[in-house]
Amino acid sequence: MVLVTGGGAGIGRAIALGLEDAHATVIAVDGDLASRASTEAVFAEARDAAGPLDAVVHAFVDPAALASEPLVETAETDWDRRCEAMLRAALHCCQAAGRELSARGGRLVLVTPTIALTGAAGLVPYATAVEGMRAMAKSAARQWGERGITVNCVAPPVELMATARDAPDGLALTEPPLGREPDARADVAPVVALLAAEPAHFVTGATIPVDGGLVMAP
Amino acid sequence: MTGSLAGRRVLITGAGRGLGRGVALACAEAGADILVASPRENGTETVAEIEARGGSAAWARCDATVAADVEGAVAAAVDRYGRLDVVIHNATSRRSSEPVQLDDVDDALWQEHASVSLRGAFHCAQAALPQLRARRGRFIVMTSPAGIEGSVMLPVYSTVKGALRGFAKSLAREWAPFGVTVNAISPLAETPAMTSAYEQDPTLQPRLERVVPMGHLGDPETEIGPAVVFLAGDSAGYITGQTLAVDGGRFMTL
Repeated sequence: MVLVTGGGAGIGRAIALGLEDAHATVIAVDGDLASRASTEAVFAEARDAAGPLDAVVHAFVDPAALASEPLVETAETDWDRRCEAMLRAALHCCQAAGRELSARGGRLVLVTPTIALTGAAGLVPYATAVEGMRAMAKSAARQWGERGITVNCVAPPVELMATARDAPDGLALTEPPLGREPDARADVAPVVALLAAEPAHFVTGATIPVDGGLVMAP
Repeated sequence: MTGSLAGRRVLITGAGRGLGRGVALACAEAGADILVASPRENGTETVAEIEARGGSAAWARCDATVAADVEGAVAAAVDRYGRLDVVIHNATSRRSSEPVQLDDVDDALWQEHASVSLRGAFHCAQAALPQLRARRGRFIVMTSPAGIEGSVMLPVYSTVKGALRGFAKSLAREWAPFGVTVNAISPLAETPAMTSAYEQDPTLQPRLERVVPMGHLGDPETEIGPAVVFLAGDSAGYITGQTLAVDGGRFMTL
């Protein structure tokens, strides 16, 4: 049983469908992750409806976080919404997942676009949040290894995080080695499914870019 | 003063003690005029020490979580020195070294970390860009090995320090057309925060020293500070978006 946050739309929905393609049982949730209590309520409702969770995929992103704007022109409320609120949602999701998965162990996968690795002009707040999420995942992986919980990140190109968004400028010097842009359902979801499945049981704290080879981290 | 930062005006947040004070001393030693930004009056002690050595420094009361305070600190630097060349965002929550399980992180602890490290970086960037742009200046943030490889003891500190690396990389791209560089430094430093972490976990110091190839934590002024001086200076103009590890070899995976 795999819970997918942000599963009602965009990349969350595509990953939920792709996980079903891979024969997982999926519960896609779209509830409020703004507070710990609301997030735990979302998880509890899902568990009561579907049974104990084996894996959690945090694919939620507020579409507002993807707005491109120079940082110096960004209002403080927008900074909070694009950066700190995204980190709070990730924290609440990790906490709720940690609680749900502790009894039996399990898998937590965070979707963290490659702008965390490369940086992106115009997207400073969200790129800040996403690189923070990667560090959060590593810390959770270190704390929860003894509970049998693995925590990893899957990194698609940021354009996949929302519909109808152009790629940030200045990143790709070449075409992807694999010749095309990835598809969330066909290309990203199978890697999420792999991390959620038994063969990946010894992988934790890792980030796997799934972008056709555009970003090759050192 | 002569030195590689002679004539440079440098603002440092959190320079009242610890790593920030050591970095301020190193920058002053290299000839920079320093604006010590700190929320408490211990900033005046940093100023006194710089002045006692023949350097130039001033203190501005500055809580990095408050936009008006950061704007005031930038204005104080410009009032006193006529311009500002370098901003170093070093301030960090006073609860930075408090070990915590992720399960136990509450809103108050999260807010402590995020408001100083992240909101503070946002405020510094917004307040300083006009000055930095005019001077083709430098913006430096302090990250941590915990921000690169995660931390079993300090998951929230790790998160905000990792986030600051994302901030530096993206802002580096955004400000490169202005000739302003943005970099992160990842120090492993002997600081009051580390001393208190040692007190809470007596096994930490010997464990850490075993995994640091150089065998000890860095001295803020003489071992971390010079790396900051380098990135703040003229000779580092083609380096941007980087994390410079100054950690005795702790982290070598890049």
